[in-house]
Amino acid sequence: MKQIIVHINQPPYAGSLVAEALDTAMVAAVFEFKVSVLFRGQGVLCLLPQQDGQVIGRKTIDKMLGALPTYDVDQLFVCAASMAKHELAASQLATDVTILQPDQIAALLQQQDAVVGI
Amino acid sequence: MTESLTYTVAIHGSPYSTNAHQRGLQVCQTIVDAGHGLSRIFFYHDAVLVATATTVPPQDEFDAAAAWAQFATQHPVELAVCIAAGIRRGVLSEAEAKRYEVSAATLQEPFELVGLGQLIDAIASAERYLEIPA
Repeated sequence: MKQIIVHINQPPYAGSLVAEALDTAMVAAVFEFKVSVLFRGQGVLCLLPQQDGQVIGRKTIDKMLGALPTYDVDQLFVCAASMAKHELAASQLATDVTILQPDQIAALLQQQDAVVGI
Repeated sequence: MTESLTYTVAIHGSPYSTNAHQRGLQVCQTIVDAGHGLSRIFFYHDAVLVATATTVPPQDEFDAAAAWAQFATQHPVELAVCIAAGIRRGVLSEAEAKRYEVSAATLQEPFELVGLGQLIDAIASAERYLEIPA
């Protein structure tokens, strides 16, 4: 089974970028890739709770994240350094994610057949 | 001669407000010049706007659509536009214009609308996947 990782480094409501990247994750899973998602940079903000995209006429990103397991996309990762930069603690994240150090991220990316970004 | 590889390239940036298409064309040209295979270029996010027939680039400015079309005449490559990203942004083929009952089809040849699955398929079948970010 080929492995693909979707790399999200944009904030959740910077236009439709994150929503469209998550579409890619779901379609890749339908095509029987092993799909994981990595949140880095401002992408970590996608993991915050109580989002409401409706306010600005956008899909709510944390709801989309909640739907990922339905597509067998259940491996979500977040960059520890990016969390620190945004002063986020693990307890503040709404979604169940694995926190990775930079060297672990490097190893994770190395395992992939392809990295899909924004 | 180095080993020949097959590539899939995806372009994500808008043709006008980013340089993604200039960079993408250079990357694609370099790939084919080096003797590698390139069979599908995939346009996603705002990059789909390049396929709009109703844009008029000023004569002294880079015309991304014309540049891609010329590239496709020189190399047997498919210019694939994501249908979901496209129709949201007003890029519709005759068939889609009929389906959604809008007054005009706006997709220009040689671009074609394809499903996101075609990107995944191209990634699966190529040895290298390169992306020009938004």
